[in-house]
Amino acid sequence: MQGVPARVRGVITLLSGHTLLVFVGIPALVVVVVALLVFASSIASGPRYRPGLSWWAPPVWIGGPDLNAKPDPANLPELPAGPNSATASTGVARTTGGASASW
Amino acid sequence: MRAGDAFTPEQLYDIERAVRYAEEVSGLHFSVYVGGADSETRPFALELLNELEDPDGSVLVYVDPAGRRLEIVTGATAKRQLSDHAAGLAALSMQTSFATGDLTGGLVTGVQQLGDHARQAPLLHANEPHKQ
Repeated sequence: MQGVPARVRGVITLLSGHTLLVFVGIPALVVVVVALLVFASSIASGPRYRPGLSWWAPPVWIGGPDLNAKPDPANLPELPAGPNSATASTGVARTTGGASASW
Repeated sequence: MRAGDAFTPEQLYDIERAVRYAEEVSGLHFSVYVGGADSETRPFALELLNELEDPDGSVLVYVDPAGRRLEIVTGATAKRQLSDHAAGLAALSMQTSFATGDLTGGLVTGVQQLGDHARQAPLLHANEPHKQ
């Protein structure tokens, strides 16, 4: 480096390994660590439900007759017409209650 | 959580625990279904209720996350313990949680609330009528 001017030599020294490590490597490492800390919980918990976006998961039935399968409406047995039935003559609907909501 | 599962095992456990609690305090059967409907949500929820072993004594909570619909269906016997008004209050609290994306929290709170509303008052000294 004897023929190199002093100013150019200074720039070369500035771009040497140690300087790069301190001024680029450490900030990059800090950024990566902070990003990991921020996203770690969501990565660990997997995809979450976001209203308005499509639903990705298969049906879940807790306390149902079969936890693995969604009933095929075509194969449902015909309802018996009991004494509590609202339309006992047809046997299609029972007297049921409840509530509905949407969000 | 495996890709494609709606709930983690911990979340499922929390919901199942809420269901058990509701069943214990009310004596009714509780069932929670989370998934899409093939048709309109209310008739589909009714079909699900009728799939259960004792539809008359059951309460079904149906959640359609894609359609953003919630249905609470009570059987003929269950309706006597759980009024439509009480079901509506539970639906309201569930709706609030679901709107923020908290399916598990909404289900746990809602099912517990349904169980509390359907709670049967303890029958004291029923086996000792002569002492009353």
